[in-house]
Amino acid sequence: MTSWKEQLGDRIPEQLAGEVDLFEGQIELKKQRKLDDKIFAETRLRRGVYGQRYDNGLRDDGTGQKTLAFPCGDLTKGPDTVWDAPGMMRIKIPFGKLTAKQLEVLSELAEENSDSILHVTTRQDIQLHFIHIEEAPDMMRRLASVGITTREACGNSVRNVTACEYAGVCKTQAFDVTPYANAITKFLLGHPDVQDFGRKFKIAFSGCEDNPCGLVTFHDLGAVAHVRDGKRGFRVVVGGGLGAVPVQAKVLAEFCPEEELLPLAQAVSRVFARLGEKQSRARARIKFLVQKVGIDEFKKLVAEEREGLRPDERWTAFLDDLHATDEKPVRDPGAIPSDAPAGFRAWAEHNLKPQAQEGYYSAIVTLPLGDFTATQGRALADLARKYTGDSIRCTVEQNLTFRWLSGVDAVAFYDGLVALQMAAAGAGTITDMTSCPGTDTCKLGISASRGLTGELRKRLTLVEGELDPAVRALRMKASGCFNSCGQHHAADIGFTGVSRQVGGRKVPHFNIVLGGQWTENAKSYGLVVGAVPSKNIPKAVDLITQHYLTNREGEESFQAFIARVGKREFRKVLAPIQKPPPYEEDPSYYSDWGNPREYTIGDIGVGECAGEIVPFVEFGLQQAEQQLHDAQDALEAGQAGAAALGGFTAMVTAAKALVRHLEVQVKDDADDVVANFKTHLHDTTLFHDPFAKGKFAAYLLKMHGEQSYENANDEIAHRALDEAQLFLEAAHACYERLTQAAAAAAE
Amino acid sequence: MQATKFQVKLYTRAGGIELEKLVPVFHEWIRNKKISDELLIDVADYAHVPQGPGVVLIGHQSDYYLDVADDRPGLLYSRKRGFDGDFQAGIDDAFQRALRACELLEAESSLDLEFATDEVLFRVQDRLNAPNGDATYAAYKPALEQTSTAFFGAAPSLERVGTEREPFAVRIRTGASGSVADALAKH
Repeated sequence: MTSWKEQLGDRIPEQLAGEVDLFEGQIELKKQRKLDDKIFAETRLRRGVYGQRYDNGLRDDGTGQKTLAFPCGDLTKGPDTVWDAPGMMRIKIPFGKLTAKQLEVLSELAEENSDSILHVTTRQDIQLHFIHIEEAPDMMRRLASVGITTREACGNSVRNVTACEYAGVCKTQAFDVTPYANAITKFLLGHPDVQDFGRKFKIAFSGCEDNPCGLVTFHDLGAVAHVRDGKRGFRVVVGGGLGAVPVQAKVLAEFCPEEELLPLAQAVSRVFARLGEKQSRARARIKFLVQKVGIDEFKKLVAEEREGLRPDERWTAFLDDLHATDEKPVRDPGAIPSDAPAGFRAWAEHNLKPQAQEGYYSAIVTLPLGDFTATQGRALADLARKYTGDSIRCTVEQNLTFRWLSGVDAVAFYDGLVALQMAAAGAGTITDMTSCPGTDTCKLGISASRGLTGELRKRLTLVEGELDPAVRALRMKASGCFNSCGQHHAADIGFTGVSRQVGGRKVPHFNIVLGGQWTENAKSYGLVVGAVPSKNIPKAVDLITQHYLTNREGEESFQAFIARVGKREFRKVLAPIQKPPPYEEDPSYYSDWGNPREYTIGDIGVGECAGEIVPFVEFGLQQAEQQLHDAQDALEAGQAGAAALGGFTAMVTAAKALVRHLEVQVKDDADDVVANFKTHLHDTTLFHDPFAKGKFAAYLLKMHGEQSYENANDEIAHRALDEAQLFLEAAHACYERLTQAAAAAAE
Repeated sequence: MQATKFQVKLYTRAGGIELEKLVPVFHEWIRNKKISDELLIDVADYAHVPQGPGVVLIGHQSDYYLDVADDRPGLLYSRKRGFDGDFQAGIDDAFQRALRACELLEAESSLDLEFATDEVLFRVQDRLNAPNGDATYAAYKPALEQTSTAFFGAAPSLERVGTEREPFAVRIRTGASGSVADALAKH
């Protein structure tokens, strides 16, 4: 055989085979420079072929930015994306469900085309890194041969449809959402009505309201199972999202009957495609459309759209066999042996959950940072075949769950994991952290979220047995930037990467976010307490948890404690570790976890001239931070109007500091500051983020235009504070860029 | 089509290894272009994964792993791109690059590493062109014997390892006891 195409033949479904052939043809056309960069980029993204850090052909090696001399010359696979540069393949795993055979093929691809590592994402996908684009078509063929497609895994399309990993086996579910998630996945994949979105669109299913597994509240479209008068249906929510500004989804339908679910999703898609923002990427998610028109108007638009839809038999065809997605256990049910060893019992405490079906359990295999090897993947496939059947699910906490494990086999299954060194206990506890890729591989990463979580995991695992149960039960999540792929907003303790300028050098930091709620489908999001140098985050975790244990009342939960004492108190707790030592005293603060390269760019000037300018602008930025903190306190105190005003004031203060840094005379009133900010920083694009462009500046301009803070409710105030936080981060980044430019000009 | 995705692993003499020490070393290799005829890109740290790839120096043509699979640390050279030469030369080149990387690692004072030469694991990450079976073994055996002899002197003993769903792999007992430098000098 000379190719996978020949080898696999008709094992590849005809339609998928055609799609892959087409993509391969587009690759050839691009190599011949007959395709536009932007068009090809969106084409490959819609096939799950994503960019990766340094794919612009530039990399800072710690002493300055260097060119990576790829042999392809000036051939690109998108704007500023070098053809030969390694990329990432995101592989959609609908509702996380994997068969043993699929796991084997994924493992083969990890070995042959990647670095032998399979990475489970927070949206139940699997990602392979360091892929060459020319190997992608054959990878897709091999995936297609086992029923997997990467189509629309990235790009402005319907992303992987997620669902609780316990769907069908959960004790608290209204019913199994799997067939519905499966139906909507198939219905919307490649559907003409979802091809013209301005941004991505994420759908999630949950079997119940109370448990966190589905996380529907931060999805573009979420469906929670309900039974009303004996009839199945869903509470449907719309317009949720994390990202830079987290938003709780709004209720679109209190009860959508099961037969109306697909047409409702189609109608929502059509409204989004028709009215969603297309020019400004920063405001193109459906949450902005819902905010813009209001949920009542949005409902009306969807209802009108639904009325005009041409009937489609697929809307209800799947209802004829809701058991098509059922899993069949391979072993008889039974009880866990009473003489199970201590190691097993410690593991089972958090990693084994009784199913609704008597005598069966779901076993969680905790994956460090969501990673496992190809060899482990094959061995896990063997365990599945022997004990659980094709019932593996990737989870949003970056683990694997094996369902339908008979109690009789539980110890043997555990022993199998021990042999693979995959029997880490503590699923869903403080040692089981989730993290986005961060600066390891993501183009947008600011700080090393994986480095941080790896370090925290290592430290906490050592003392796991000594931790107070209340601390052990906490969830920690990290994102390398404000885009929130690590879902840190919904953690007890969340981290989001930011950078700070200290003494003319950059220092990696993480903003600490407290008070997020994972349960009840991530019912509430946390707020930023303050930025702490990356290298002090382990100390911060110690201080936060110790403060909680020392000062809690009785068995008070962490969330209740935070709600009672407020974030101001935690700011005092963290204050002593918020300032890094000078570089000369401890340079380790100036590099990130797991990365010895100096975080700062080495050619930043630290001369006298900069020294005279720096203090004023830094003072202004600090003052803005304080104003923002005060505004957060006001929100906690129930003063939404004051909080929103405080957020705006903080933005104005930061803007003023930057305007004055440009030696522009500016008055103290907000109108003058905003006008000058617009002229000198927004219109000149000096304030623009390299990726988000003018998004953060727009927060100030928009809020200045509204000027109705006194009437703000909690949600508006919360959003105003989130936007102010991001504006301040952008102000810090802008200041860093200005400093670098000044230093370069001085040289 | 001829397979070119060859992997060669040489094991460390002492069992234990502090993987985190490899991270700054590999970054320094990138900075100072220690492997001058290859484009080195980045370092991937998988020290948190048991029996995993360890720490990986990601390149364009090849990757270099300080791999801890099977709890047996070793340097794993992995060619990713095509090789401009014949079959025998491709295998020779993979061995040579693996040995050169071992020599570089042995020279790193922060690591205190030494590699054994008595055993080499050879793999081909290409199930299409080199499935793990007797036919592939028959095709590769003479070339592997020739390469092994050229580097290590003694007549080697070869054993195909793994099952057909795993990549084609051969464990080579080289019969050598010398150093990495000896092997490189011999070739």
